[in-house]
Amino acid sequence: MLLEYLDVFISGMTIGSVYALMAVGLTLVYGVSRAFNFAYGSFYSLGGYIAWVLMMLIGLRGGYFMVFALAIPILMVFGYFTEKAIVAPLRKRSDWEVKVMMITLGLALFMDNGYQVLFGPRMKSLPPIMDGAIEAGGIYISNQDLMIFILSITGILAFRWILNNTRIGMAVRAVAQNPDGAQIVGIPKDKIFAATFGISTVMVGAGGVLLAQKYFISPMGGWDILVKSWVITAFGGMGSIRGGLYAAFILGLLEAFVGYWFGLNWVLFALFAVLLTTLAIRPQGLMGKWG
Amino acid sequence: MLTITDLNAFYGQLHVLHGVSCEVLEGEVVVMLGPNGHGKSTLLKSVCGLVGRVEGSITYKGKEISGLSTEKLVNQGVIYISENRELFGEMTVMENLKLGAYSKYARKAEKKNLAKVFELFPVLAERKKQLASTMSGGEARMLAIARGLMSNADFMCIDEPSLGLQPNLRMEVFNIIKEINRQGKSILLVEQNIPQIADLADRIYVLEEGRITFDGDTEAAAQDEHLKEIFLGM
Repeated sequence: MLLEYLDVFISGMTIGSVYALMAVGLTLVYGVSRAFNFAYGSFYSLGGYIAWVLMMLIGLRGGYFMVFALAIPILMVFGYFTEKAIVAPLRKRSDWEVKVMMITLGLALFMDNGYQVLFGPRMKSLPPIMDGAIEAGGIYISNQDLMIFILSITGILAFRWILNNTRIGMAVRAVAQNPDGAQIVGIPKDKIFAATFGISTVMVGAGGVLLAQKYFISPMGGWDILVKSWVITAFGGMGSIRGGLYAAFILGLLEAFVGYWFGLNWVLFALFAVLLTTLAIRPQGLMGKWG
Repeated sequence: MLTITDLNAFYGQLHVLHGVSCEVLEGEVVVMLGPNGHGKSTLLKSVCGLVGRVEGSITYKGKEISGLSTEKLVNQGVIYISENRELFGEMTVMENLKLGAYSKYARKAEKKNLAKVFELFPVLAERKKQLASTMSGGEARMLAIARGLMSNADFMCIDEPSLGLQPNLRMEVFNIIKEINRQGKSILLVEQNIPQIADLADRIYVLEEGRITFDGDTEAAAQDEHLKEIFLGM
């Protein structure tokens, strides 16, 4: 019994770590530019499809290392120019936040239908990043889960390091805290907006590559991720990266246990129940800075 | 060094500056006086690329700069120091200063400027690790000026540096600005009152309702009956 719970716990932590990676990306864009990206789920699928094309279609050698080495720059460039092309032009208008939601929603529909045309409706799967399992005191942890956890955490730590120790990271924080102040000192605000959009695309796309091994890649598969990332972000507190991290692990564990006890159908129900209860008591979320 | 000719500036439908012309020579401190809400800040912001719609000519070191982005202007050595300070509140003093040197133009002189800044503002050297949001009004003002100096600018647009400060702190800030000028920076400064800036300004302009209504040195300004009326209520 206890061992089974431990299994569920490990599964919850694994999925929580990927959620954390993706939620941090969503929070980053919202925190820096107040833009809410409805195509976030489609970017998740994009990561999965890029990996699938590289591994299964082209037959790239070098395993997941090569997949990430190629997918990360592709996702970065894709995110950067998507921001430049469809989000940046709206920024000068009134009510641009709403318009950004509309246009990213349109982009999501466009991309998802594009996947359907290009890859067909059938689900795709990717090989596990690593076979086998390790055993410790009667508990088995699959190497795949372990690698997913390690890579997600590495991604988050790398992001943190960039944010705290590089020039661009400092500029990102400056724009998030005071866009006018950032402009005054000569930080190219528009480039920073586009760059954060690119970074967030990398984070959710990497999440797509990681989870595609456990689940499947499908044209509409991103919507579930969009909803979950959004729930995590609201639960953790809009714009708070640390809040998003805690929320991701809490909701990852919740998902695993609810799925284990009541079945997967109840997962979204439970997520929203927790979200609504939390927001009723704390409208700003766990650690939110903005209302 | 900076010549503004027939400048018009707009916020949306609002026409704020009407054909303003003025100039700052190399090494000068020029003070733009005027009542609140008559366009002084707008003039500085127009120079620094922070106003949406600007018509007319602004030349800096002989080159036309009107319409350039703030980023490009900072790279040419023109910096704006805001009356609202616009610091990065959740960052330390040191991080704020480093961000002041974000532009390429500033980066090469970052170390030199940091040493200069700490010499000019010993209090900032003591508080390198303090969060900007926890500083007092006077310290935050110093930090805003210091951050501007980090940009390595030759030309500084300083917006109401005395705003919200006690009289003794005001004098301190003005003395520092005087010292900055002595070290070779040209300055266009906006203020509301004559008496405080009397020994700081090389020349004075007065801006009322978006138009220049006076142009002369401090002595001429002190004797001008109209100015006495608007600034001293005499």
